[in-house]
Amino acid sequence: MSIRMCLMAGAVALAGIPALGMSHASAEEITLRIWSLDKPEQPAWNLAKEFDDKEPNIKVEYRLIQFDDVVSEAMRAYSTGQAPDIIAIDNPEHALFASRGAFLDLTDMISKSSVIKKENYFKGPLNSVTWKDKLYGVPKATNTIALYYNADMFRAKGLDPDKPPQTWDELLAAARKLNDPARNVYGLAFSAKGNEEGTFQFLPWVQMAGGSYKHINTEGGVKALTAWKTIMNEKLASPDSLTRGQWDSTGTFNAGNAAMAISGPWELNRMTSEAKFDWRVALLPIPQPGAERSSAMGDFNWAIFSSTKHPAEAFKAIEYFASQDDKMFAKYGQLPARSDITLPATGDAKKDAALKVFQEQLKYAQARGPHPQWPKISKAIQDAIQAALTGQMSPKDALDQAQKKIDAVLG
Amino acid sequence: MRKLALSLTDGRGFDILLVAVPLGFLLALSGLPLLYNVLMSFQEVDMFSLGSVIRPFVGLANYKALFAEPETWPIFANTAIFVTASIAGQFVIGFGLALFFWVNFPGASWLRGLFLISWIMPGLVVGAVWNWMLSGDFGVINFLLREAGLISRNIFWRSDPNFALWAVILANIWLGTSFNMILLSVGLSAIPEDLYEAAELDGANVWQRFVTITLPMMRSSIGAILSLGLIFTLQQFDLFAAITSGGPNNASNVAQYWAWDLSFKQYDFARGATISVIMILFVMLASVIYVRSTRQEVRG
Repeated sequence: MSIRMCLMAGAVALAGIPALGMSHASAEEITLRIWSLDKPEQPAWNLAKEFDDKEPNIKVEYRLIQFDDVVSEAMRAYSTGQAPDIIAIDNPEHALFASRGAFLDLTDMISKSSVIKKENYFKGPLNSVTWKDKLYGVPKATNTIALYYNADMFRAKGLDPDKPPQTWDELLAAARKLNDPARNVYGLAFSAKGNEEGTFQFLPWVQMAGGSYKHINTEGGVKALTAWKTIMNEKLASPDSLTRGQWDSTGTFNAGNAAMAISGPWELNRMTSEAKFDWRVALLPIPQPGAERSSAMGDFNWAIFSSTKHPAEAFKAIEYFASQDDKMFAKYGQLPARSDITLPATGDAKKDAALKVFQEQLKYAQARGPHPQWPKISKAIQDAIQAALTGQMSPKDALDQAQKKIDAVLG
Repeated sequence: MRKLALSLTDGRGFDILLVAVPLGFLLALSGLPLLYNVLMSFQEVDMFSLGSVIRPFVGLANYKALFAEPETWPIFANTAIFVTASIAGQFVIGFGLALFFWVNFPGASWLRGLFLISWIMPGLVVGAVWNWMLSGDFGVINFLLREAGLISRNIFWRSDPNFALWAVILANIWLGTSFNMILLSVGLSAIPEDLYEAAELDGANVWQRFVTITLPMMRSSIGAILSLGLIFTLQQFDLFAAITSGGPNNASNVAQYWAWDLSFKQYDFARGATISVIMILFVMLASVIYVRSTRQEVRG
């Protein structure tokens, strides 16, 4: 461990060196530095290049950062005065930077913009770029989770594939019917992993039952965790759901080892090529008929660092990115965070049907936080999930403990 | 001036130069970061003060807060179990294999070389492979146990709190055994043959020869391998990241993984540094044992 610490200290020291040779930008041509985790086959890489070609006076330097490094790299760069002009940041981390004044307040620029209009964006993503009623970024894309199900297995077990489970009770009942240990089939696949993915999957259940991350140990929170515990206790999902991420869990669904799966639209391309059965998507089941819907909200936001020397040009770049939002799904399978865009059909019937459901589900997506100490809140929730599901604590006790930790953070 | 040049090429100056270069290197790349780490454990650090060295001093607050956490003692206990069980497993199996190859049957030397494959594999790769093997529903280990009739239902190695830590220990024993074997083989080959011949003539049986000749002659090798084992096991991070991520519910979390998680997942750098400092104390203890046992070796 101390080795990692050493590396970090070394990197901090080295980061100061390039500062000496960086101030030779000519008067007419300026350089914008953009950091994102998108690879050459993904949106940001290409958008940055297109913007570079389009603007003769702006040179774009694009840097690819790995997902795990985005926050730590950005922090390091900002604290040593080496921050880029524009960064793509994961939405639960946005508040952390915004609250510390690291991101530029874009409220005025957005209100004057003809391209980026506040009212065009879904509420959840917009909420994630908001800190104290000011806008500190623009949602880059969005995603959410819904229920995938294997219609062939529904038919084989006498369930109606046109009537997917609507409530938690129906979901559990369907999972019990579909569960078939002799054939290595679990009723449901989801992720309760002890990382952000676990929180991402669990919070929608709490919110649907009337709780929130601020009030996790309410009746609704306990009900949600008890439902998860029932799923695990009755072995309706693999016990490995505790240590397996969403991608691997949904992999078992694609392979026919789970009859239903809770995951997001990022699965669509893989499922189209791998899953050799009639798969469909339904909205996340709700606790009881008439209950409020909710879902998780994922994906990244664009933000401009407050240390930028070219705020106008940087905002121009983000305006260009936003102007291309309508082409992102067809080209890269990325869902825009906007309600004013109608996505064209892809020609694949299953994918188009799934897309409709995800767009409906997106209306109910809620941001995690925003709170500058989100990782700590999230950790408290993960610990509660894992303590309850491994049987070491009752759902109520586990959530009470989480509430205590969350209260300490919220102050 | 000439005197200085002479001293530098052939004399005290040369000796000092030889020592100064590695010492300077060590100080810059290990010593300073180590001190920086200790300093951080007494400060209030957040990610925006990461670039500065002068930060609010909080005394022992980080240590107090750490030991007030309910998970602290279980995690340190896990670390102790992990270290003890890993070293014990690696050493016993490694010693057994070393003795086995010492018999020197045809092909023994290249077979022994093949064992090193596990040691040269990157930890993350080893972790990924064990992750599949230990998988509850489709893992090959469960399959073998089931076919052999040892278990009637699958063991969820990664997700059952009773097994998660042992799953990582199992992988770590596999990873470290060959290194133990090689070092112990070297120690074994250094024992003079005639000692055994003489003992045999005196009528000592195999067990007596092992206890009265092999073990005492191997003392320094054993001391070195055990303390190196302690250092390597306390460093073991990749397997945790690849197999259990410390879960479920911290059941397989150990100090080194926890420190990383606190620093780079929850951005609590001070707390992460605090755990690292506590670990440094243990590693220093191991270093003392290591230095002492190898010093004996040199004196021979």
